[in-house]
Amino acid sequence: MQCADCRVLLDAYLDGELAERERVSVREHLAGCADCSRELAALERASALAQEHLVHYEAPDVLKARIASAIAGERSEGGGNSSDTPPERAPRRRAWLLAAAGLLIALASAGLTYAIMRGGNRSQALADAVLASHIRSLQPGHLTDVQSTNEHNVKPWFNGRVNLSPKVPTLDSAGFPLVGGRLDYLDGRVVAAVVYARRQHLINVDTWPEHGPNEGPDSASAQGYHLIHWRSDNVEYWVVSDLESGELSQFVSLYRR
Amino acid sequence: MAQRSADGFEAHILPHLDDAYTLARHLLGDEHDAQDAVQDAALRAFRHFAGFRGDNARAWFLSIVRNCCLTMRQGRAVDRVTVPFGDQHLAVVRDTDQADSAAIAQSERALVTQALGEMPVEFREVLVLREVQGLSYAEISDIVGVPAGTVMSRLSRARRRLAAKLGMTDKEAS
Repeated sequence: MQCADCRVLLDAYLDGELAERERVSVREHLAGCADCSRELAALERASALAQEHLVHYEAPDVLKARIASAIAGERSEGGGNSSDTPPERAPRRRAWLLAAAGLLIALASAGLTYAIMRGGNRSQALADAVLASHIRSLQPGHLTDVQSTNEHNVKPWFNGRVNLSPKVPTLDSAGFPLVGGRLDYLDGRVVAAVVYARRQHLINVDTWPEHGPNEGPDSASAQGYHLIHWRSDNVEYWVVSDLESGELSQFVSLYRR
Repeated sequence: MAQRSADGFEAHILPHLDDAYTLARHLLGDEHDAQDAVQDAALRAFRHFAGFRGDNARAWFLSIVRNCCLTMRQGRAVDRVTVPFGDQHLAVVRDTDQADSAAIAQSERALVTQALGEMPVEFREVLVLREVQGLSYAEISDIVGVPAGTVMSRLSRARRRLAAKLGMTDKEAS
């Protein structure tokens, strides 16, 4: 085998894509040719660097929710021929159910394994509930009960609805605009959820009164989601988002300030 | 019947949204464009899923994503390339050794990303499909719509450009 013939096969050799006979020829040539071996080493290094540094992104929650609702819309338009559904009143309701189903499947495929955290089973169950509530909030129309970018609208809205007034700091200048607030039902109680955004990512801050010593912050992640929890002054805080964990920590330190 | 294929869509297509978004991000750069392209692709996949007869739903879906990305690229004049911030960017680094290696990793990442951004899109897509998604030449050939031999030569040129960018070889081999 000549060097020129060897060179064109080096990538396929590296990738295990050569037939046995070619593979053997390339290997034999490499054993006696320092130039081609150097070439292979450079390709191997380039390949390793690409694998290390090119990001495998996670599809953001917002995108999953958008797709689920677009597909639900598509189904309710074109799904009139299904025999088990009365054509008149079902489509819209069915659309929402399917949107929910779509999200659940997306969630299941994310594989909910936590690398968690002090506190054992209760924390694990609570983290599950917080995450489920986050996913639910991403469905169309579920994100906020009061939609406002102004803390002076959001904070008073919780008065009389929950038995604590959640912190609603203004973090616009740090790149975390306020989106609004919502009531949620979590672990058997009504909690206040304050929603912030970072680019296309949404951040839910769930808070409720909980007596006990100050704790945390602790963090946990399910694939694609990050949770940060702490308790201070008898208030429990759970922050959840698909935002990258470093930026979420930055958010938490600003929020706690 | 329509319902059955729709259920198949949930099971076969939605698990590949991360891969789809990854391809779109690398082809388009901009995260909003990438989201739009993937949403568009998911809707098309949904509409055509009943007619899908193959056994590799991921490759099929990625080929739709690729087409949506290329269509979107035609609609804009310049390439927007964003350098992603890795975890190192915000990490607190404690000692100098770590600081050095974090800085090196950061600059390597920037170079790799820049090199990718400077490549023609036909090199870029094969590099991402191979190195990030780990697909075989046959799968890449299906997605891109060129013979496996062409996949091999494009991949080879993409890697040599990368090696040249990182100063590992003297020049890009042709």
